[in-house]
Amino acid sequence: MSKTLKYSTAGLATMAAVAMSVPAHAEEYAILMKTLANPFWGAMGKGVEEGARNAGVEYYLQAVESDQAAESQLNVCNTMLERKPVAMITAAINSTNLLPCLKKAQSQGIKVVDLDGNLDPDILAAEKIDITFSIGSDNVKAGAQGAEYMVSQLGADAQGAVLVIEGLSGNITGQKRANGFAEALKELAPGLEIVASLPGDWDRGKAANITNDILTRNPDLKGIFAANDGMALGAVESVFAAGKGDDVIIIGVDGNSDAVKSIKSGRLTASVAQLPYLVGKQALENVKMAVAGNDVEKQVIVPTLVLTQDVMEAGTEPMLEFVK
Amino acid sequence: MSLLRLTGIRKSFGAVSVLHGVDLNIDAGEVVGLIGDNGAGKSTLMKIVTGIYQTDEGSITLEGKSVLDLTPGERRSRGVEMIYQDLALAKQQDVASNIFLGREPVKNVLGVKIVDRARMKQEAQVMIDRLGAKLPSITRPVGSFSGGQQQSVAIARALTFDPKIVIMDEPTAALAVREVQSVLDLIKQLKSQGISVILISHRLNDVLAVTDRIVVLRQGTAAANLVTSQTTMSEIVSAIVGGGDVEKAAAHESRG
Amino acid sequence: MTPIDAKSAPGPWSRMQEKSIEQLHIRLESIVVLLGLITLMTILSPYFFSISNFMNILLATSTIGVLAIAATFVLSSGGLDLSLGSVMGLSGVVGAAFAVNLGMPTPVAVIATVGAGALAGLVNGFVITRGFVPAFIVTLGMLGIARGLALVISDGRVIYGLPEWMLFIGQGRLFGIPMPVIIFIVVALIMHIVLAYTRYGRHTLSIGDNENAARTAGINVEFHRLTLYTLSGGLAGLAGLLFATRINSGDPTAGITYELTAITAAIIGGTNLFGGRGSILGTMIGALIMGVLQNGLNLLAVQSYYQQMAIGGVLVLAVFIDQYQQRQETKV
Repeated sequence: MSKTLKYSTAGLATMAAVAMSVPAHAEEYAILMKTLANPFWGAMGKGVEEGARNAGVEYYLQAVESDQAAESQLNVCNTMLERKPVAMITAAINSTNLLPCLKKAQSQGIKVVDLDGNLDPDILAAEKIDITFSIGSDNVKAGAQGAEYMVSQLGADAQGAVLVIEGLSGNITGQKRANGFAEALKELAPGLEIVASLPGDWDRGKAANITNDILTRNPDLKGIFAANDGMALGAVESVFAAGKGDDVIIIGVDGNSDAVKSIKSGRLTASVAQLPYLVGKQALENVKMAVAGNDVEKQVIVPTLVLTQDVMEAGTEPMLEFVK
Repeated sequence: MSLLRLTGIRKSFGAVSVLHGVDLNIDAGEVVGLIGDNGAGKSTLMKIVTGIYQTDEGSITLEGKSVLDLTPGERRSRGVEMIYQDLALAKQQDVASNIFLGREPVKNVLGVKIVDRARMKQEAQVMIDRLGAKLPSITRPVGSFSGGQQQSVAIARALTFDPKIVIMDEPTAALAVREVQSVLDLIKQLKSQGISVILISHRLNDVLAVTDRIVVLRQGTAAANLVTSQTTMSEIVSAIVGGGDVEKAAAHESRG
Repeated sequence: MTPIDAKSAPGPWSRMQEKSIEQLHIRLESIVVLLGLITLMTILSPYFFSISNFMNILLATSTIGVLAIAATFVLSSGGLDLSLGSVMGLSGVVGAAFAVNLGMPTPVAVIATVGAGALAGLVNGFVITRGFVPAFIVTLGMLGIARGLALVISDGRVIYGLPEWMLFIGQGRLFGIPMPVIIFIVVALIMHIVLAYTRYGRHTLSIGDNENAARTAGINVEFHRLTLYTLSGGLAGLAGLLFATRINSGDPTAGITYELTAITAAIIGGTNLFGGRGSILGTMIGALIMGVLQNGLNLLAVQSYYQQMAIGGVLVLAVFIDQYQQRQETKV
């Protein structure tokens, strides 16, 4: 028995010694993304890197396994707080899953930043969470731009069926884009009717299936708007497989590298490009200012750009440099 | 005196008639071998005795009283125990848990009924000793025991119900040679405690070694009722097979 | 490892193993692995060995832990419940709907949450025992039905804004310990006693070990199974309550794929996938092993994909060690 006691005491002592030797570390920023599988977030990661380099700050970045892993992201968030960052920059999977972590961050004096506008301002107000700023695209405007482009191609007096593929149920970003598109479409081309608005859960496969089903019901479908590129590309596959590649206008949102390739090869019609690289870069730079005590805008809007084959071939659009 | 008496048992399953009038009589403290070829109806007959099947015709009395309208559970409490070929043991649980399966003794701890492990182990040990069985450990899972040892656990469990008659279905079929003898010894133990045993077995040498009488079922009837000490392998085999090459079959049986 | 010979006395390690199983109902190996992992993580990351981090681990493990308790009961009886995650999500939504949309007082909403889970479990149990449909298929069906129902009730959105008393369940603290952790530990201890020490628990294990033996012994197997699935659903409802009150909303997407994680935790903790053996304390150790692993890898900023590989690896290793032990035992 005493041998066991000796060994356990030695073990505990070692652990305590290691634990107490926490090195004093420089100010760090914590960045929590959804999942790195989507190239959108990959581009944002690169922007963050660039922004951090420009601002001369240390950061650590983490993501979870899918953009549906809500509790997992909350657990990772809590763990990231253990490293006592000065700022917690998050792209929440939905409007409520990170609330306990953000409240804890606030109570520890850590600045909270909403990356890409995933948090609901009403809920934040109710929870008394005061975020330093929110940066992202204006998702309602992005949806509207999609509608504008569709109408510009089909004509204001066009008649026909349109399909909207929404994002993950309950995600405010997807809702804003879908609503923005629907509102603008109604105004600009009343003859175009949205025959279905279904959640694609940000999933390429699901979007492909939805498209198949709606094409069967409405073989003369004129246009498809998907709340992100992944889903738009799924829709593209179904449309082309049905042999209707030239008849249907397909528009996505994000402008990620897969979408760019697809547009260049003439399959995806257009994508309302967010500029994740710019978002990431600007977010870091703004956080540095906030941490230094300067005032920052509460809502930083990064513009979106409608990417089409023409736009890319012309190559004159200045914002193209931020499309990675 | 007669303990269990079956008269005129008939049983059909749909168009298939399995038993056509079987008479069987077991006295107290008797070991009776029940043998017969596959399909002769042994298993069906025993299921009728335990109450899992209902007989179409005929009567069953235990100690003179009819048991026809008793459920298997009720017949069990009257003293009819069956040990199945697969032993119906929970292989991952220990000896005591198996012996008390379904009726674990409980004690009251702060208002909650907790299983009384101490009492279980104690009473299980008593049963094992009464049987004279040798088991490696009373706390290891019975799945780690040899076939013969598992058989002892099953018999010990049967004993805790204070049975008057124990039916054993192929108890030595899958055992090593060394273990067969220990099981046969256990059967003799039961007999010495006044418990009747019906031994269903293909292994005629075992049957000859341990039984007082042998009943042969052939094609749904009791083709022969032999006194063990006065019969021969040939007689038994010819009753099973009923004609055909009796010599060859007998020679085969005495080798195995 | 040399086979244990019945004739020679068992060595000290085997004695400790036997004692551990008999008295604590935990496999010694599981405890060793957990302690080993904790030591490893402490050495690798300076942030690991702290009270607040350990609280994080316990908090992160509480939802999955409750589901793993449900999985342990069902697996021990030779059954399977694939609907755990979906029922968890559905329950959270039902509770939130009761509290927010219907304006019911907290006790009613809490009962509705757990009750919704129990009801789903009851339906599972009914179809499995009366309809004779295999548990795999029934609970797989419920996985879809419950998830769909959650989306229907919530219209695809989170239902936000639970009453204060209800929030205490997920966000309150007692003696500095988060409420979900306290609830998880209390429920685990009670369920451990039930499974290991009561007739109900012994019968559950017997049914999983040898259903025919249990039936012959007079256990009403069908009714017992019915109660097990209802219990499983109720526990999933509790997990749903813990999560919803943590994030102050009923989230219809809560718990996706959780049933697999719960089963993994149970198996790492020593539950036999095919029934007949299981222990709640063992499952808790299994859940903590996964929790420590994930937390440690998070602190080291290891990509979540590697984390998934690590968990998968630990699962296979756990079962391998278990099978190895079984084979050693049968060599006696």
